[in-house]
Amino acid sequence: MPKIEVNERFFFDLAGKTWTDKESFEQDLTVAKAELDEWNTTLPADGERTIKIELNDTNRPDLWSTAGLARQLRIYRTGKIPSYPFFASRKKHVKAPYRVVVDASVREVRPWLAGFVARGKAISDALLRDMIQTQEKLAWNFGRKRKSVSIGIYRVGLIEWPVHYRGVDPDSVSFVPLQDTRKMTLNQILEQHPKGIEYASILMGKPIHPLLTDAAGRVLSYPPIINSADLGAVQVGDTDIFIEVTGSDYPSVALSCAIMACDFADMGFDIENVEVNYEYDTPFGSSVTCPYYFQEEVSVSLADAGRLLGVPLEISATLKALNRMGLCAYSTDGALIHVAPPEYRNDFLHAFDIVEDIMIGMGMETFAPQRPTDFTIGRLTPIERFSRRAKSIMVGLGYQEMVYNYLGSGKDYAEKMRISPKELVKIANPMTENYEYVRNSPLPGLMQTESVSAKASYPHRTFEVGKVALKAPETNYGIVTRQYIGFLTSHAQADYNEIASHVAALMYFLGKDYSVREAFDPRFVPGRQVEVVVKGAKIGVFGEVHPAVLEAFGIVMPCAAGELDLDMLLDD
Amino acid sequence: MIDQSAARALHPLEVKIILTFDAGALIDSARVRETLGFKEGQDQQAFSWLVAKGVLEEADRQTEVFYELTPLGQEWHDKGTPARRIFSLLREAGPLSLPDIAQKLGLDQKTVGSAFGALSKEGVCAVDASRCAVIVRPELPQSVVDTEALLGAASMQGGSLPEGALSPQQKALMAQIAKKRGAQDAPFRIAERARVLFRLTPRVVEYREAVVALGMTGEELGAITPEMLEKGTWKQGSFRPYNLQIPPARVIPGRRNAYVEFLDSVKDKLVSLGFEEFDGNLVETEFWNSDALFMPQFHSARDIHDVYYIEEPTHAKFIEEPYLSQVVAAHEHGGDTGSRGWQYQFDRDFTRRLILRSQGTVLSARQLPKAKVPGKYFGIVRCFRYDRVDATHLSDFYQTEGIVLGENVNLRTLLGFLEMFAVEVAGAKEVKYVPGYFPFTEPSIEVHIKHPVLGWFELGGSGIFRPEVTRSLGVDVPVLAWGIGIDRMALMALGLNDLRELFSADLESVRMRRSQYKIQ
Repeated sequence: MPKIEVNERFFFDLAGKTWTDKESFEQDLTVAKAELDEWNTTLPADGERTIKIELNDTNRPDLWSTAGLARQLRIYRTGKIPSYPFFASRKKHVKAPYRVVVDASVREVRPWLAGFVARGKAISDALLRDMIQTQEKLAWNFGRKRKSVSIGIYRVGLIEWPVHYRGVDPDSVSFVPLQDTRKMTLNQILEQHPKGIEYASILMGKPIHPLLTDAAGRVLSYPPIINSADLGAVQVGDTDIFIEVTGSDYPSVALSCAIMACDFADMGFDIENVEVNYEYDTPFGSSVTCPYYFQEEVSVSLADAGRLLGVPLEISATLKALNRMGLCAYSTDGALIHVAPPEYRNDFLHAFDIVEDIMIGMGMETFAPQRPTDFTIGRLTPIERFSRRAKSIMVGLGYQEMVYNYLGSGKDYAEKMRISPKELVKIANPMTENYEYVRNSPLPGLMQTESVSAKASYPHRTFEVGKVALKAPETNYGIVTRQYIGFLTSHAQADYNEIASHVAALMYFLGKDYSVREAFDPRFVPGRQVEVVVKGAKIGVFGEVHPAVLEAFGIVMPCAAGELDLDMLLDD
Repeated sequence: MIDQSAARALHPLEVKIILTFDAGALIDSARVRETLGFKEGQDQQAFSWLVAKGVLEEADRQTEVFYELTPLGQEWHDKGTPARRIFSLLREAGPLSLPDIAQKLGLDQKTVGSAFGALSKEGVCAVDASRCAVIVRPELPQSVVDTEALLGAASMQGGSLPEGALSPQQKALMAQIAKKRGAQDAPFRIAERARVLFRLTPRVVEYREAVVALGMTGEELGAITPEMLEKGTWKQGSFRPYNLQIPPARVIPGRRNAYVEFLDSVKDKLVSLGFEEFDGNLVETEFWNSDALFMPQFHSARDIHDVYYIEEPTHAKFIEEPYLSQVVAAHEHGGDTGSRGWQYQFDRDFTRRLILRSQGTVLSARQLPKAKVPGKYFGIVRCFRYDRVDATHLSDFYQTEGIVLGENVNLRTLLGFLEMFAVEVAGAKEVKYVPGYFPFTEPSIEVHIKHPVLGWFELGGSGIFRPEVTRSLGVDVPVLAWGIGIDRMALMALGLNDLRELFSADLESVRMRRSQYKIQ
């Protein structure tokens, strides 16, 4: 979930309200599903305080900026929906003073581009930082780490229009990228420049790479990697800037462009349009004027919404609630509500998505909790009930119940237990080798206890009931999960006879007949270990733990132990 | 003045001494054994207790030397000294070489050598021309006879001879055969014991008054024995009161694990609220873990670094139909769920990818096709997260999740359930609901509670499953989905502040752990 930092004064100005106490600020933030992460009570010397805010809705990238979040709070309070007349749409043509030409060559690598020009105001330090943050959040969180969205910002005055977006051979073009002084080819940037290395995977193996140049052929940027140091650097004090978005997914590109344009408009900039001419077709024709309103109207029936919310809804109150959320909503028949999503939102996949906006618009206090009336019978799973019987018998036998993690190292789970790691389910992308395997037995956990508990008074008698993962190639997943009980006794006289007596008591009180036959498990001493057999099937093993296992765990007290498959025992 | 409880706590041995001897009297072990019939050890116990109470004080202390029979001395006594055994053997079997003697007697050569040396020196034995030992004077030396007399006397007196009881000749002999250290190859060990003389102090009078007032005799009964019960002898006596303030000895019982018991209590609570438990596989597919929950395959929470992938096998063989087709349709264009879908090309290979279950909601999704209406289901199941392990993050941990299906469930009934959990499970006094976000629910609600100890915190997340989720899995009624975080409550109940401690391998801390948790 994205976290943003906002300049307090900047934010309060845009929201049109100054908050002084934390509680009411937090309460107001809930309408945007935002949480206050950090808000220092002391004011720094320069008076510029920063607030850290976490945004929970991953489908609302419009909230991940100072202006966007402030907008939602402002509309909720005032009910005034801002207008953004500069948007073009299917129905509305807008004349664009700037033009970008998209060459057919870029279609296979990164086909979509949108952009606009913001002018009329100098960029302050706070604004520059905010702009960079918005750019990063959109590209990283919403744009899947620049894969589907990346954003470039330039000074308009340096560019000779029209701008060209085309695909090039990555060895054929070179320019000086930001944060460097050398002239590099695209391939050199991917290999040597920090940003190139970070995002190389997006373009890896592609014969043609995207490039943005001006009419004079000078490089603006190499999307989605890096801007040029010449034309692609924006500083405090700059006034006219060009913002472009490229990506692999058209709605994401168009929405990111819309969000930035609305933000700049809210911050007092004039927005001027950019016409994008494609040499191929887009869902909106071959020429698209940006920012472009591409969203479609959605509708929900008042009755359905009321059923889902558990209250009868009244049409005017419902429309008012939607209005507080910034949605232009109307109804012609009083039964069906139509919503035109705001320019900066595209999160209405289903009619029910409107219902949540009604809920927030009305306020949570509108909905009183209601006790459920449906009668249902509660019950535990059969294996849980059976496991609890086994546990109470083990406790009666003097055993302490333990509970362990299910992930561990190959060293603990295989090497020390003298089994092959091939028997274990291995994680392909472990974070560390300490958590690389899923256990196939509770015994390594019980051994671990012995290895760290030599000072605890003896005898030690421990058990655990829990899941293990076993390889089972014939099954759909190739791996099955089982409920096992593992048990261990450790003291100077711990031996086969003791553990055999305890297994006998356990099985007697579980009401299970069993027989034993000699086992050949490397974890136990040869000749002092058996398989537990119920109706011809092996359901477990017990015996004296092999001294080589004890030695590997650093244990100097004899141990006898065993494990049983409770699922198999229950089913028998 | 001695109060009654102090007097009542006296041991019968103490009582007997208090009743028998007067202030100023001198007593020692020998005297109390003789007078009161104390057994060995009882006198020392009584003396140390009475010294602590100030009834006795040390009057004199002398060190006395004892000669204790060693295991070797006991063997000499039982089988005869080596000299006697060599002498007897030669007399019966005639001349023999020393190695033969050693072999026949089962003694080592060194022992035979030194015993034979002593016999030769006394002129009892000699070596003949064939280098065999022979008897030259048919009479054992006096030293051997005297040694045997000492062994016999020591054995008679419990294995120990006081130095004072020996004649000068015996003392001289003892000096040759007894050792103070390294006495394993000598028949006697020299031991020094202190003989202490105690004087009764005037406090004995105070104690005696109290003892007499209570009618104590020192003949009170101690432990109740089967014999006492069989013969009925307890009827003749009174029971000695025990000191009831002594801390009892520790016992280590077999016990349930405090954390698992806590989880069980939550399970029991949910069952009592009408929920049926579900369970499932640790290893799941991307399909059930996320796709079936309408999380788009390009969602940022589905990156390689958010779930653990299985190395082998990598993919399930198949995904159950018709759910696969229906979920694919919901993702790509909404299918017949009323949604426009996520508008992308669904990856049918990726959906079979095997992973470790990362959220309990998987089991809710799996339950939907077979769920009853109305129905309530829950699970407390182990989930796996790609997190660096520390005090607040674990790589595997328990999640508590559930669903409610019903024709008439809605946002208000969802809030009703959340309130019920907050009050019944978490013991909350105040509850508040705020809009939340989960990819699979709409609307989504977070529930925050004011806990009596922990203050305000987020108890859980919830919502109504999106139609894209329910319809694709064959359910046409609204489904409430909820998850509650109970680990913070578990830590508090167990007095811990580190999540790793919940799964501790340390036996002593697990043995001592107890739950302070009171479920409603």
